[in-house]
Amino acid sequence: MKASIKEVDDLKAALDEHAIVAVTDPQGRITFVNDKFCAISKYARAELLGQDHRLINSGHHPPEFIRELWTTIAHGRVWRGEIKNRAKDGSFYWVDTTIVPFLDPNGKPRQYVAIRTDITARKQAEEKLNASNKEVLDLKTALDEHAIVAITDAHGKITFVNDKFCAISKYAREELLGQDHRLINSGFHPKEFIRELWTTIREGRVWRGEIKNRAKDGSLYWVDTTIVPFLDANGKPRQYVAIRTDITARKEAEEKLNASTKEVMDLKAALDEHAIVAITDAHGKITFVNDKFCAISKYAREELLGQDHRIINSGHHPKEFIRELWATIRQGRVWHGQLRNRAKDGSFYWVDTTIVPFLGENGKPRQYVAIRADITERKRIEMEIKELNAELEHRVVERTAQLEAANEQLESFSYSVSHDLRAPLRAVDGFSQAVLEDFGPQLPDEGRRQLQTIRSAAQQMGVLIDDLLTFSRLSRQSLAARRVDFNAMVRGVLQELGAPWADRRVEVRCADLPPALGDPALLKQVWLNLLSNALKYSGKRSPAVIEIGVADKAGRPAYFVRDNGTGFDMRYAGKLFGVFQRLHRPEEFEGTGVGLAIVQRIVQRHGGQVWADAAVDRGATFHFTLKSEPPT
Amino acid sequence: MSETPRIELLLVEDNPQDLELALRALRKANLANHVHVSRDGAEALEFLFGDAAAAGRRLEDGPKLIMLDLKLPKVDGLEVLRRIKDDPRTKRIPVVMMTSSKEQSDLVKSYDLGVNSYIVKPVNFDGFAAAVQQLGLYWLLLNEPPRSDPP
Repeated sequence: MKASIKEVDDLKAALDEHAIVAVTDPQGRITFVNDKFCAISKYARAELLGQDHRLINSGHHPPEFIRELWTTIAHGRVWRGEIKNRAKDGSFYWVDTTIVPFLDPNGKPRQYVAIRTDITARKQAEEKLNASNKEVLDLKTALDEHAIVAITDAHGKITFVNDKFCAISKYAREELLGQDHRLINSGFHPKEFIRELWTTIREGRVWRGEIKNRAKDGSLYWVDTTIVPFLDANGKPRQYVAIRTDITARKEAEEKLNASTKEVMDLKAALDEHAIVAITDAHGKITFVNDKFCAISKYAREELLGQDHRIINSGHHPKEFIRELWATIRQGRVWHGQLRNRAKDGSFYWVDTTIVPFLGENGKPRQYVAIRADITERKRIEMEIKELNAELEHRVVERTAQLEAANEQLESFSYSVSHDLRAPLRAVDGFSQAVLEDFGPQLPDEGRRQLQTIRSAAQQMGVLIDDLLTFSRLSRQSLAARRVDFNAMVRGVLQELGAPWADRRVEVRCADLPPALGDPALLKQVWLNLLSNALKYSGKRSPAVIEIGVADKAGRPAYFVRDNGTGFDMRYAGKLFGVFQRLHRPEEFEGTGVGLAIVQRIVQRHGGQVWADAAVDRGATFHFTLKSEPPT
Repeated sequence: MSETPRIELLLVEDNPQDLELALRALRKANLANHVHVSRDGAEALEFLFGDAAAAGRRLEDGPKLIMLDLKLPKVDGLEVLRRIKDDPRTKRIPVVMMTSSKEQSDLVKSYDLGVNSYIVKPVNFDGFAAAVQQLGLYWLLLNEPPRSDPP
């Protein structure tokens, strides 16, 4: 018994050494505390004994926790748990607590022994770990929200992708996991680029760069990429975390900008090659000239920069012209015109000039870009043409005057012919008649017949003179150009020629004729001559058949007059339209041989053609065309 | 000094043959009694304006008809016509152009100056004689001129 008591005492001593021990009565009042309890609670033993355990309550645990504790021990069962207490100085400490109830013979707890171990350090570490874990989780969530994340193992196999990675690559997660990153390789980057990436991360260094990838549907996307290698205990990468940002829009904009910048540069180069370019500031000082400007102006670039454009002013243009130019471009409008400039050596050159003002933020021109093309040669040719034209004009005036003089002479000639040749004829005829009247009875029959012959010859000559005058007048007369109704005209002409004829049988067949454009009086003469010929040469037919119609000659109407008369031998057709040319003897058919010559002259003056078809005793057909059809 | 009968017809013609034929035609129609002949334009104007004044004749009492050739020596027919029609005292005297010219410009000018008739002389004498006679009969007998009252 003694030995066992000793053992108990030893155990108690060891416990005292190791644990925080307290004993309370069934009411919860503290009846015993060991030194460690005092040390950790920072209370003196006297302050604790007789007190409730609430003295060291930290308020950390909810009431249910405390209630559950009391219920357990009040029923005589051991309670185990971790409790946060408050020391006298307000600091907190955690204790791993075991409360053992000791029962009386009635089975009711008579006292509680609480044995505690200080676990403050562990709890604090736990709390810290929890907090940092939470932080990491938050960061991961935020990263997931924001970035395209993938993790690959040391061999480059994909072990994790987030939703954004799936969204941009258009692959399902299960299509990606276990795959190589080559799945999304666009082939855009050179091999060296990819090799450099792997070298970097295999050495455990972070890689940053922009990568162009290909999505499942073949579309391309750009990602700003950071790959972080995580190392194992041996310092070898065990996995790689790749964090990416979609920069496709930016890259596309960059690409476009690059392209358009390139285009602008190309245009500028082309312009420089082609045109004379100068830039002046708002005050008219030259700030840029290209080589062509220097070449044409014969000034060195340094002689021009900082100068006014007046340096190349030729003084050719009036002040108003220059003022108008400046007024235009100062208002921000483009000026276009031709300028004559003077080169350094005093020679002149012409430039076709466009000046474009570029406006500053205040809306006022900040600089002017002038683009010029050398038109000196063109101007020279223009001048030559002008001179030639003037010369030509002069010559035309001279020729016209000569022509007018010649025409006047011709007119006075035909006037004389008309007036002076007819007077003697009238005398021949008149005095023959006078002889017949005054001395007729004294003359033999033969004498009277001869006088009659003299008279008819004189009259015949009168007709010839009239025809000749008509013909010559045709050449100088100016043409009217009016719409002519040929149907009405032909009807009128036939009436003039005596239709319907009482003394002979004539059958006229007239088709509907399209209208024409020309001189009505002259065209009437054409119909008159052709129809009177047709009537004349069909005089021996009964019935005479006169056909009037229109045929097609290369798309133009060819009007015709056909008769069933005596016709003529086509071998002589060449003579038909000559002046005073006749294919018949006067005894057969009277006439002067001018009618068809007149027809031809009129038709030719209307830009048309006339031709004939005939056979001896089988009638003749005369066709004519005119230049153009009348406007409908 | 016996009073000269009033001249009824002034014939202005330079061609002697045409003149003879015209007078022959007028004679046949009994119209040749009071005819005055001028052989050029100057003579005609002298007769109409100069002589009248010298003889104390009123210009209004000029010939009843003037037959005028177009182409005349010295002063041509158109000028004579213009002078006659320009003068208010002679402008009512009928003037007939007797000419060989069919030129449109001559016709137009004559009518513009106020000619009363324009006859193209036919080469054929019968036609010529008929024209002269008809003109004489028409203007001297048929036509009623306005009265010229003394002032």
